[in-house]
Amino acid sequence: MSLLQVENVAKSFFQRGNELKIFSDVSFTVEPGELLLISGRSGTGKSTLLNLLGGLERVSAGRIVFNDRVITDLSMSELAELRANGIGMIFQNFNLIPGWSALENVEAVLMHRGISQSERLQRATAILTELGLGDRLHNLPAELSVGQQQRVAIARTLVNDPAMILADEPTGDVDPETADEILHLLLPRIKSGRTAMIVASHGLFNPALATRTASLKDGKLHL
Amino acid sequence: MTRDIIALAGRELKQHKRRTFAVISGYALTVAFLIILAAVLLYSRVVQNITIGEAGTYFVTWLPACGDISSLSEEELAKLARGIIPEVCKEKCENCTGCNKKPVDILNEGFVINTNGTRLLTLDLVEKIRALPLIKDASACLMFRFRDPQTNTIFAVGGIDVQSPAVSTNCCAASDLIDGNFLTGSSTGRVLVDIGFAGNHGLKCGSNLVIASETFVVSGIINSGARPVKPDVIMLFADAERVINRRIQNPLENEANLILIESRDATVHGRALEDVKALMKGDSLLTTGCYFPAAKAIGLNTRLIWAFMTLVAVAAMLFSARIQWASVIERRRSFAILKAIGWNNRVIILQQLAETLAQSVAGSLAGLVAGLAVLLLVPVNNLLGIDATMTGVLNPGLFAVVVAFAVTAGVLAGLLPVLMVIRQRPADALRRV
Repeated sequence: MSLLQVENVAKSFFQRGNELKIFSDVSFTVEPGELLLISGRSGTGKSTLLNLLGGLERVSAGRIVFNDRVITDLSMSELAELRANGIGMIFQNFNLIPGWSALENVEAVLMHRGISQSERLQRATAILTELGLGDRLHNLPAELSVGQQQRVAIARTLVNDPAMILADEPTGDVDPETADEILHLLLPRIKSGRTAMIVASHGLFNPALATRTASLKDGKLHL
Repeated sequence: MTRDIIALAGRELKQHKRRTFAVISGYALTVAFLIILAAVLLYSRVVQNITIGEAGTYFVTWLPACGDISSLSEEELAKLARGIIPEVCKEKCENCTGCNKKPVDILNEGFVINTNGTRLLTLDLVEKIRALPLIKDASACLMFRFRDPQTNTIFAVGGIDVQSPAVSTNCCAASDLIDGNFLTGSSTGRVLVDIGFAGNHGLKCGSNLVIASETFVVSGIINSGARPVKPDVIMLFADAERVINRRIQNPLENEANLILIESRDATVHGRALEDVKALMKGDSLLTTGCYFPAAKAIGLNTRLIWAFMTLVAVAAMLFSARIQWASVIERRRSFAILKAIGWNNRVIILQQLAETLAQSVAGSLAGLVAGLAVLLLVPVNNLLGIDATMTGVLNPGLFAVVVAFAVTAGVLAGLLPVLMVIRQRPADALRRV
């Protein structure tokens, strides 16, 4: 059984009573240790597809199975639990909580899960230090550069050691050098088989790093 | 988890010092304002009760003189003189024993209340009225109009029980004394004289006054102001009974023509009047200190003031709650992010509840302390120019209600928007914000 199975998934939005079809009949699988790059132009639905895989959005049709759980049938709280334990998301605009420091943003993922505060802080500090932010632990997002913010967002995802990472343009807002640094942090985890990763990008992500590529075009996913 | 929630709430409030300060200050100011307003309103009620107590909780009940005597036959009048009440009078005379006490000089003399003729009542009625639950005191009083055969002067004599509180409000009190001494229980043979009567007849303290051939010494001159019972001469009840008996056909037998009454307090004054009227039956009349029971008018005003205060409280609380609401709405994006990283709705609600409770409780308690400090340190009664103590206005029950109201409003204002926000799918919330 694959880590992720996407079966005939479709998504539409309704705007002013009119149905806006984003994509349909999207089917693919992802195995542990795999990096799937989904490319496509802006507005083709890459972010929406990642949101569906992360349970942030509901499918219009089809089925998604993750780790033998049909996530399209799960409730909102079960989906939240899934994101807390199995799926990590890296957002295009980072989505850091502006009033919280880098350390607090990363620690937040581990809260309310029975982990002691000292262990939470130790794990969050370790991952931020690993990503080169050991001296910026107590800075607010606004006090960090864009690249540093992106690294905090990645640290927030990795601290949980998820089975699958969904990354929306993970290197989109950083310089090539920083992008390389970020990828060198992510890739070993994937290559070790500990995790799988799906990256949505409109061309800024190096396809050579992916184990497989797909493109989303005209409402269809072309593998 | 609870520890995490409390710790995070503390951190969140500390990190947003200005917002936290604004919300707590809003609650504090609102609660302090409400407590001061409530205390001033309670104080105004205390003052109102004092005012009404001095002006409107007393009254007199009496029966107007029967006008049917002139229509009686000679035989009926003869029977009446022997104490036999004619059949035609019995219905009206249920509480009256007055028809057989006809004055000797029926044209000039008789039982009166000021200028109106009255019938007589048994003293048993006084006891019955005094036993009514809304009555504080009732006292028998005789008031009889005499004619001085020497000078043909007409004047009214009142016989009172000087110890009775109802007498001091309805007729005269020691504080009315202008000169001389007030009557005591042992002032037999002594009288008080109204200042006007004294002036017209050249009476001073120590002067002698002859009434129905009996000589009395003027003990004091009084000015009793506007009271329901205002005789020219006031003496002890027993003295009045004795001199009146000289001027009527048959002697009084445990009778009086007026009952002076004081109701328990201003708030029940109207009901006390109704109770006495029901007990007296027939065509009894009530003469009150005010032309209209003041308690009714002031009671209406008090209700309006409380309604106004409730309105102000709701408006003020909504204003504070609005700040709380806005602070939650501002954090929509944060809640959506927390959901996206795996926090469930329950945790987010508890988190918000902890923050809201902390702010509204802290604000309310600060407001309570500030309000009490103002009430205790600022002499509100002096500022209002009222000579009455503030006792009774520091009402713990009312304060508890105000604080509970503020906390409830705060919790609702904090929870309702968060409930709305978390109903959205995280992707929708992140996209829209």
